[in-house]
Amino acid sequence: MKTRTLKRALIGVFVIGGGIGYFMYQAMQSSWAYYYSVDDFIRHESAAQNYSFRVAGRVRLGSVEHDLQKMRLTFTLVGAETALPVSYEGVVPDNFAEDIEVVVQGQLAPSGVFQANMLMTKCESKYRAKVK
Amino acid sequence: MAELGHFALILGLFAAAYAVLIDILGAWRKEIGLIESARNATTACWFCLTVAILVLSALLIRCDFRVNYVAEHTSRALPLLYRLSALWAGAAGSLLLWLWLQVGFAVIVFSKTGEKERNFAAGARAIANFVCVFFLVILTIDNSPFALSSPVPADGAGLNPLLQHPAMALHPPTLFIGYAALVIPFAWAFATLKTDKKPPFLSSTTRHGGYPLFVQARNWTLIAWLFLTVGIVLGAWWAYEELGWGGYWAWDPVENSSLLPWLTATALLHCFRTYKPSTAIARWLTALGLITFSLCIFGTFLTRYGLVTSVHAFGEPGLGILFLVLLTSIWVAVAMLLWRKYRHRSIGSQVIGRPGIKFIGLCNSLLVLLAFVIFAGTMLPFFSGLFTAQIITLKSDYFTKVTTPFGLALLLLLGICPYFVRHNVNRNWRVFGTALFSVAAVAGWLLTKSLAIPCFIICGFTAINLAVDFFSRDSGTEKSKQPVGPRKTLRWYGSRIAHLSVVLIFVGMAGSGAYETEKQAALSPGQSISVGKLNIKFEGLKANHGPNFTAVTADVTVSKNKKLVARLNPSQAYYYSSDKQTSEVDIKRTLGGDIYVALTAVDKNSGLVNLRVLIKPFINWIWIGSAGLVLGAGLVLISFYRRKRIV
Repeated sequence: MKTRTLKRALIGVFVIGGGIGYFMYQAMQSSWAYYYSVDDFIRHESAAQNYSFRVAGRVRLGSVEHDLQKMRLTFTLVGAETALPVSYEGVVPDNFAEDIEVVVQGQLAPSGVFQANMLMTKCESKYRAKVK
Repeated sequence: MAELGHFALILGLFAAAYAVLIDILGAWRKEIGLIESARNATTACWFCLTVAILVLSALLIRCDFRVNYVAEHTSRALPLLYRLSALWAGAAGSLLLWLWLQVGFAVIVFSKTGEKERNFAAGARAIANFVCVFFLVILTIDNSPFALSSPVPADGAGLNPLLQHPAMALHPPTLFIGYAALVIPFAWAFATLKTDKKPPFLSSTTRHGGYPLFVQARNWTLIAWLFLTVGIVLGAWWAYEELGWGGYWAWDPVENSSLLPWLTATALLHCFRTYKPSTAIARWLTALGLITFSLCIFGTFLTRYGLVTSVHAFGEPGLGILFLVLLTSIWVAVAMLLWRKYRHRSIGSQVIGRPGIKFIGLCNSLLVLLAFVIFAGTMLPFFSGLFTAQIITLKSDYFTKVTTPFGLALLLLLGICPYFVRHNVNRNWRVFGTALFSVAAVAGWLLTKSLAIPCFIICGFTAINLAVDFFSRDSGTEKSKQPVGPRKTLRWYGSRIAHLSVVLIFVGMAGSGAYETEKQAALSPGQSISVGKLNIKFEGLKANHGPNFTAVTADVTVSKNKKLVARLNPSQAYYYSSDKQTSEVDIKRTLGGDIYVALTAVDKNSGLVNLRVLIKPFINWIWIGSAGLVLGAGLVLISFYRRKRIV
């Protein structure tokens, strides 16, 4: 009797757990985004075009251009060695600025420009006022 | 003065460590003197923390930039209230605030226990103080709020302008009150593991005005839940009002880490409600009490240690790893106690109990599973980085996809729940009604491919059931032999209001999520665009100046069929002192939905602007529902403290 209950419980757990696991896997797979630093991203660029990525890097000083007519923000993301041009269409966070760490999410266009649909700045709790 | 604060922290650390040891010793040898001594040590620890927090507040108000924390989070130009709110603007200060509240709550709850519960309370207090020791080690060694700055700056860096908003100033401390209050059910649950005998749930009532610990644990869970709810909603509301992207929830790791304990605390609350001795609910209570507070600590670790990249990252690693050590040691202790219990006395078969308890078990499972899928998604970047060379992150649509079915199932259960307390509904009728609506919901989903339709159908079902229940007769006044339902007390009304509010929140989430219209446009003065049936016209720019900022405001008119609907003035402000700019959105609110206009970019020379216009149907029901949720829970809380009968 007892082993039978145990067996039933185990089967139940497997069925439900498996179902939920499969469901989660399905959901995860369709919203997969690989996370790279700029340097790693450039290194793995070959297979890059069909997937979503999140790329972290620093906004190069003086590279930010905001085209109001086309509603497009372009800037260069730099890592330790390499750089990646980024084009972003969307809401620019208030604390976006040059020379800060950002994460962009999107895909690499054939032209070599990273088309971002999401731009995240790290809101630092420790932030410094501009030195006057 | 900073030395005084630092000294108070060290003294507090010793008092807490002493209290842990003496409580364990006292509970083990059952010596009243030792337990009393530990109790006093806890109070002493709280006094030390009070001194520390007062010192820090004084330093912040006086702008004493010799202290690093003060220099980093305030400036001379900052108004007094925001200077005080800098107490929780940084990692060290907020941790101190949390700890001060937590120890304070522990003192309130565990100092007035009855004789029968003295030993039990000692165990609970020991684990609460154990957590306290860890926090104090971090605060004294790694991340002291009283560390001195060198060189001393002439002026401080100031508070982040994003935090200079009433909702954002209140958001952190409300969450911390919630986290801190959850230590009570946690300590209680831990102590139930420790006792060999049946835990003193309801048996021991104290005579002298105190409440037995079971009741305390329940009440403090509700208090914690109330504050967590307020904190989470404030954060969401602030994001919607201030950030200009028009959403209220982004499934960011930090947001998730506040949602996880809220979900398990919700389950915990319902367990306390339906508790009957020696049923499966007793086990749920212990497990959920332990898990909920662990999730709070885990969330802190996640954000402080910067384990997962987040928008909110505080990113100050250091001894943040101690949070993980703390969690591990708690769960090792839990495992050891369970093992001991298993060997001494079977924890095996327990009565399942009446159908209502089975039902609550089902709700709990769903809430815990919901928490689990969110947890898994949040932690995937970490685990994928741990086991493979590649970090995988999930876009926020994962969370939407994966949480929707659980949310809908919970909503359906919410609709069924009146059946378990009211007995005048024919059984066949219930099954038929539930089946009909479920089939309609699935059919609606298959036909429209939109999850909003099933959500509305289930909302309808749940609302009908709750309304029938609400307006049905009060069995308290009914003199028939067969009671038709529970007596309609304050507590009953509170819980029903809360449940109805949940339905409203679901309506708001589904409506604003599925039927949102968004448009971005570059407009010169006089140009207009059409969004849905609305015509949005940009009239021109105005400039205005404030005390520490300068702003440009766009004049926007919204019309429908050439009739003016609203005049909106989104703006962008630039703060001199911190060289930051913020955009202020303007919203036309109606119960049917919001017209949300944000000024995302301005070219001051040509007058060209970028506007972002969103139409969000039903969104205000989220805020109305949240207010109802808080009101309902508040009524229940009042009933907890008002009723003579304690359960």
